[in-house]
Amino acid sequence: MMDMVWLGLVVGSFVSIGAYTVLIGDNPVSKVTEHLYTGILAGYTLAINWDFIMKNAVGKVQGGQFDFILPIILSLMLFARLKPEWIWISRYPVALTVGVGMGLAMRASVLSDFVGQIQGTLLPINSINNIVMIVGTITATAYFLFTRENKGPYKYVNQTGLLFLLVAFGVTYGSTASFRFELVIGRLVDMLRPDVALYTYGFLALVAIILIYGYTTKKIPWYKSR
Amino acid sequence: MSVIKKILNMDQRIIYLGLFIALAFPILSPVIVPVVIQDYSTQAFNFAKAIPDGSYVLIEGGNAAATHPQCGPGLTANIYHLLTKNCKLVFFSITAEPAYWTQVEIDDAIAKLPASVAKEKGVNWVNLGYLSGGESGVAALAADIRSVVSKDHFGTPIGDLPMMKDINSAKDFAAVFWWGGSEGSIPYGIRQLVGPYNLPMSGSCTTNEVPNYSPYVSSGQLKGLFGGIRGSAEYELLLGVPGPALAQAMATNIGGLYFLGLVLLGNILYLVQRMRGEK
Amino acid sequence: MSDRLTKISLPIWLTAIFGILMIIEFFFSVPQIVTDTNVKLRSWVTIVSAAALILGTFILTIAHVKRAYERKPGWYYSLIYIGAFAVAGALGLISVRETNFMWIFNNMTSPIGAALYSLTAFTITSAAFRVFRARNWKASVMLVCGFIVLMMLLPVGGAIFPPIVPIGEWIRSFPSSAGFRGMIIGISLGTIGLGVRIFLGRQKEHLGIREEKKEAS
Repeated sequence: MMDMVWLGLVVGSFVSIGAYTVLIGDNPVSKVTEHLYTGILAGYTLAINWDFIMKNAVGKVQGGQFDFILPIILSLMLFARLKPEWIWISRYPVALTVGVGMGLAMRASVLSDFVGQIQGTLLPINSINNIVMIVGTITATAYFLFTRENKGPYKYVNQTGLLFLLVAFGVTYGSTASFRFELVIGRLVDMLRPDVALYTYGFLALVAIILIYGYTTKKIPWYKSR
Repeated sequence: MSVIKKILNMDQRIIYLGLFIALAFPILSPVIVPVVIQDYSTQAFNFAKAIPDGSYVLIEGGNAAATHPQCGPGLTANIYHLLTKNCKLVFFSITAEPAYWTQVEIDDAIAKLPASVAKEKGVNWVNLGYLSGGESGVAALAADIRSVVSKDHFGTPIGDLPMMKDINSAKDFAAVFWWGGSEGSIPYGIRQLVGPYNLPMSGSCTTNEVPNYSPYVSSGQLKGLFGGIRGSAEYELLLGVPGPALAQAMATNIGGLYFLGLVLLGNILYLVQRMRGEK
Repeated sequence: MSDRLTKISLPIWLTAIFGILMIIEFFFSVPQIVTDTNVKLRSWVTIVSAAALILGTFILTIAHVKRAYERKPGWYYSLIYIGAFAVAGALGLISVRETNFMWIFNNMTSPIGAALYSLTAFTITSAAFRVFRARNWKASVMLVCGFIVLMMLLPVGGAIFPPIVPIGEWIRSFPSSAGFRGMIIGISLGTIGLGVRIFLGRQKEHLGIREEKKEAS
């Protein structure tokens, strides 16, 4: 019997190459892969959320918690969105999710983000690090929040705030580059495993042949403009 | 067209090919260099180490297919670490895909653990699986687990799991680990668990998100942070349990240097162009 | 008038009531009935959110079915979507722990997802070579910080030049952290402001009210 784990790795390698071909331009192989991905992911999302509702709403109603009929009805009301004339019906479940979500976000923002971060900035002025934190936080917040004419003493506050924000963006840029390389490596590690590598090279050659055929015969729309 | 302009306008697919080779080469021929452990990782490790043996720990598993290779080994190391301390672990995931990967990471850790360590499902760990609702879901779970989850990831009723007998809210846990992957969900934990319940929290995220959460580390709301594959590799090193992260972290070397080399080259050519007065 | 009440005013009022219930529970000592109601409301939200995701998959599928039915450009790709959705959805609905379902998810969706997300590694590298220039002091600050932090993150960076690690960590932990803290404080104020606008009925887009106006016109 075929080893399903190994077969999975080979299939994974093939579809990954399909996805990577988009780097040479939009082409049928990449389009097929993208649609396959969206289709399976949508199916998965449908199934796992259905399972969640069955376990935590329908299951509870069956267990005697009849108040859970209400969220089931609200969930059904959400589907009224599919018909423009009935869209108002879907506003009730949306009111519940947005109201509760916003209330939770607001109360937590005040405590954890606003007060918590200000508390974290109330540092003794006894080291360069603390001074950097205090000055940086105040000026960056001012730059972020106040939009007024950039002249007089405020100009210096504004410029200092911008400097700190630029440092933050630079750090994010370097970190993002590293993160993206890690994503590729994560995929390549499976594709270049000794028991899979030969198939990866084979698929690579196969895709190259398909695309070269498309290029020479101009059967791939993307190549028509090249 | 000048040579400089030609280089600057070279076909981007050549750059792509170069990056592919730079990232694939170290996987085929690995070279290991010493890793300097970052402060955030040391803090996160020390936090895990300081959790009293036998405590109840809540873990959000947020690694998806794309982020599992980089953050997954870290969560595996975390589970290994906490189970050897006889901690009781409760897992949940706030997005659909990570619910599957969290179980993969639990299984990986269990496979590595020595036979002497207790690791029984329902007794030493429970995976509640996928929890819908995002931040509202976390708030609901924190207040009353049974109000949102009635069965675990495998469909077993919570009432049938011995470990869940005395647990029903965030108050029953000693610590939280938030393995957010690239969900961007670490602030949910800080807002709904750390703030209201005063639960100490540490976690992990992909490398690009580490700077976003650094203010929470410096304010003490987050006790430490493992970032991406490097963070996972550092956890493995600090724990002394080898795993796949170290080799993958090494594989970033040539690709990263290639990127930096291109940035330098681009800027040097730009400066030369400016000195020559070319546009 | 009553039409407006049921279709517009009542949902806005309910949004505000649900939100305020969550807020008062947190800051004030409230009767047990309020706490119990809030626990119920939060658990209901998880159910409705799950249904919203199912609705999302329906809307996407309907769009693909329409494209295939009307034979719009690239309609044959929509058939692939529909086929994949039908197979994965059907297997998943039988059981989300079904072996074939997990095999498809694990070996097709996961690798493609990882590959698609990693594509930006290539575009970011190309963009860095083409446009990431030290044109002025602002770009130079970003460039230098990005360079140092990437060097710090690469294991080889610390091996070639050990001080790069503490320097990079300092930049990340202090000036960069201060910049992000400014953003977090700003965003938290923005969240509070947005919430107040929603509760007052000044912001109604989440209820699809703008969409309806367009349709009416």
